[in-house]
Amino acid sequence: MTQRGSFHAIAAGGVALVALAASAGAQETGSGVLYGDMQTVTRALLDRAAGDGNNFLHTNGNYHQTRYYPARQINTSNVHKLRPAWIFQTEVVESMETSPIIVNGIMYVTTSFNHVYALDARTGQQIWHYKQNLEPATAPCCGPNNRGVAVYGDMVYMGTLDSKLVALDAKTGKQVWESQIADPLKGYSETMAPTAVDGKILIGTNGGEFGIRGFVKAFDAKTGELLWTFHTIPENSVGVWATHDATGRDMLRDIAAEKAALAANGDPYETLGGGVWQNPAVDHEMNRVFFVVGNPSPDLDGSLRPGDNLYTDSLVSVDLDTGEYVCHFQYIAHDVWDLDAVSPPILTDVLDDQGNTVPGLLHGGKTGHVYVHDRRDCSLIRFSEAMVPQEDMWTLPTPEGARMLPGANGGVEWSPMAIDPDQRLTYAINLHQPMTYTVESTPYPGGTKLWLGGSFDVIPEEEQWGNVTAVEYDTGDIRWQVKTEQPMIGGVLATAGGLVFTGEGNGLFKAYDSATGSVLWSFQAGAGVNAPPSSYTVEGKQYIVVGAGGNTQLNYKRGNDIIAFTLAE
Amino acid sequence: MSKTGILATALGAVAFSYTVASAEEDIGELIPLCTSCHGEDGRPIAPDYPIIVGQHFLYLYIQLRDYQSGLRANPIMQANVADLSDDQLKALAQHFSKQAWPSTSFPSSDEDHALGQRMGTGGQCPQCHLGGYEGQNNVPRLAGQQPRYLERTMLEYKNKVRMNAPDKATLMRGYDDAVIRGMANHLAGM
Repeated sequence: MTQRGSFHAIAAGGVALVALAASAGAQETGSGVLYGDMQTVTRALLDRAAGDGNNFLHTNGNYHQTRYYPARQINTSNVHKLRPAWIFQTEVVESMETSPIIVNGIMYVTTSFNHVYALDARTGQQIWHYKQNLEPATAPCCGPNNRGVAVYGDMVYMGTLDSKLVALDAKTGKQVWESQIADPLKGYSETMAPTAVDGKILIGTNGGEFGIRGFVKAFDAKTGELLWTFHTIPENSVGVWATHDATGRDMLRDIAAEKAALAANGDPYETLGGGVWQNPAVDHEMNRVFFVVGNPSPDLDGSLRPGDNLYTDSLVSVDLDTGEYVCHFQYIAHDVWDLDAVSPPILTDVLDDQGNTVPGLLHGGKTGHVYVHDRRDCSLIRFSEAMVPQEDMWTLPTPEGARMLPGANGGVEWSPMAIDPDQRLTYAINLHQPMTYTVESTPYPGGTKLWLGGSFDVIPEEEQWGNVTAVEYDTGDIRWQVKTEQPMIGGVLATAGGLVFTGEGNGLFKAYDSATGSVLWSFQAGAGVNAPPSSYTVEGKQYIVVGAGGNTQLNYKRGNDIIAFTLAE
Repeated sequence: MSKTGILATALGAVAFSYTVASAEEDIGELIPLCTSCHGEDGRPIAPDYPIIVGQHFLYLYIQLRDYQSGLRANPIMQANVADLSDDQLKALAQHFSKQAWPSTSFPSSDEDHALGQRMGTGGQCPQCHLGGYEGQNNVPRLAGQQPRYLERTMLEYKNKVRMNAPDKATLMRGYDDAVIRGMANHLAGM
C-alpha cells in the first residue's frame, strides 16, 4: 500500500521531526502571571518522589509506580471531614483520564483533545492554558483522552492524539518544541502520559486496533531528538508456539494451521500491533525500564498472524540508556480476546515461592489476575486468585459470537493499581462486563480503519458491575473485595494515612480503609470519576485531587471538572 | 546544531502533505456539482443522501479517496471523483468540513431511543463516535444525520454492500433490521 503523506524520512531513518513553535501552528491561549518561584524539577527530586509528601511528580507517583502517597495528614480517623477545596472547570466536556501533577504548588492537568492547564494548587485559579493545534489523525480506539504530563527541568511534556511529543515551558505554557513520533494516518496516536527520566522522555504508542508495529521511544528532553526506539514487535515474532497461557490454561491454538499460514505468508510483524499505552516503571539500580505490551492486530482474528505474536500481551524490560531488550514474559501467546497487558507495572520487593525477598514486579491483568514477577529475569512467581468471574476460558471467537468471561475490557483494564508496601497489599479496580466474541477475517485496511477482525458485543441483558480488590502479593490471596455498582475504570491512589481512593462512573469518589475495604467517605462529583487520583501538600495542608469527566470507553457521564479536596477546619 | 539548522533539516525532509494547510486547490467549479445533490443550504435533495457540511475533514477525505479507488462502491460518486487529484479531494473535504452542520429536526419516538441505546451499548458505538455521536477525525458524525441515509448505510454494512470499513459488517450482523431502523431514527433525532 502507498504511504499517505510524505513520511519517508520517518519510516526510513526513524529520525524525529523537530519543528519549532512558530511553524508548528500550535496555539497557546493565555499565559499567566508567575506564581511564586516555580521550582525546577531536578533528577534528584524525581528520584525521591516516593518519599515526597508535598509534590506529585510522576503519573503513577514515583518511578516504581506504587501510587502510594507518603503523607498522612488525611487518614482513616479524619477522612470523613474531607470536602471540596476548589473545583476547576476546563473548557473540554469529554472523557478525563488525567493524573494531576503538582510541583511546588503548581498543578498541571490535561483534558481530552490535548489541552494543558497550569493551576494554582491551593486555590484552583488558572495560571495558563495551552491548546494543541491537532492535525488530522486516526482516532484512537477508546476516546480522545490524555493521561497527563511529565515534568522535567523547567518543561512540561505531553503526547498528542496526532502522534506528537510536545514540550512546553512550565512557567508560561508556550511550546518549546514538538516532535513527530509516528504517522498518525497509520493508526499511531498518543493518549498516555510520557515518562521523564535522566534527560530522556519515554513514550509508547496507541494503535493495536489499527495494524501498527508498536514501540517505546526515548527522546532528548531538551531538544526532542529521538534517542532510541524499542520495537515491541521483533522481526521474528513467532516465539515458541506456546499452547497454554501464564496461568496454565489451554488456549486451543491450531498450531498446524498457524504453521501453514506462516509458511504461506511470512512473519506478520509489520502490522502485528503491540502498543504500549501506559507508563513504564524505572529501576535506576538495574538501569532498566519495565513496561507491558498490548494486543496483537487484528484483535480477534488469529488466522492472519500465526505464531506467538511476540511481544504482545507481555511484560518487557529494556535497558534505560539504549532501549535494548533484556527480558520478557508473555501472559497470553497469540491472543484472540484482546485480554492484553495494559495496567502499568509496579516495582516492589516481593516474597518468592521459597519465602525469600526478591526485587519484584506486579501487573494487574485483563484476565482478572494480579501477576507477581521476579523483575531480575521477568519470570513469573505467582498469580493471584481471579478477581472477577471467569467462564469458559479460552473459548475461541466464532462467526456467530461466543460468550466468555472476562469480556474484552477485563478484569483490570488500563487502570493503574496502587500498593501499600507496609501491608504488602496491592489494590486493583476491576470490570465485570459480559461480552460475546465474534470473528470475521478481513485484510489489513490501511491504518485509518478499525481492524479488529470481528467485533466484541456487550450482552445488554446481563448484569454489569465492578469491584475494588486488595490482593496479598506475597501469596496471591484476595484480602478484601468490595463490589461496585458499575464496571470500574480510572485508577487507584493509596496513602500512608491508611486510605485507598478511587472513583466510579456514577460520579462517586470514595475513600476506603486500605486494611479492610470499609468505605469511609464518598462524594458525588456529578460526572464519572474515571481518572487516577493524586495528592499533594501546599502550605501545610494535604489535598486529594481527581478529574471528573466521565469515560468514552464505558460511556460514563461526561464532565469537565478537576476537584481538589481537603479536610474541613 | 542550531535550532534554525534543525528546522531547515526538518522542513527539507518532510512536507506535511496530509494537513489541510497545503490544500489550496481551486475547487470553485466543483462545488455546484456537490451541492446539486447534497444541497445548496446543506440539506440534501433526497432523504437517503448524506449531509456533508460540518462533517469531519478526515472522514470526508477518506470517503472521497475510497470512492476514487473503488473501495467504496457508488457509481455516481465514483464518476464525480474519478479525475480529481488528491489535493482536490482534500480541498473539497476541507471546504465542506468547515461549514456548519444544518439544524435538523428528524422525528424519533421513545421506542426508537430505547432501541438505539440498546444497540449503542451492545455495539459500544460511543467508543469511536463519542458520547453525543459527534464523531472525530476519521469517524463520522452521526448525530442529526438523515435517518434514511443512516439506515441504508447500516444495512449496506450488514449486507456487505459497503465494504470500506471492514469491522462494520460483523458489528451490524448482530442486529436485526427493525433495531437498525430504530437506531437510525435515534441518531437522526439527536
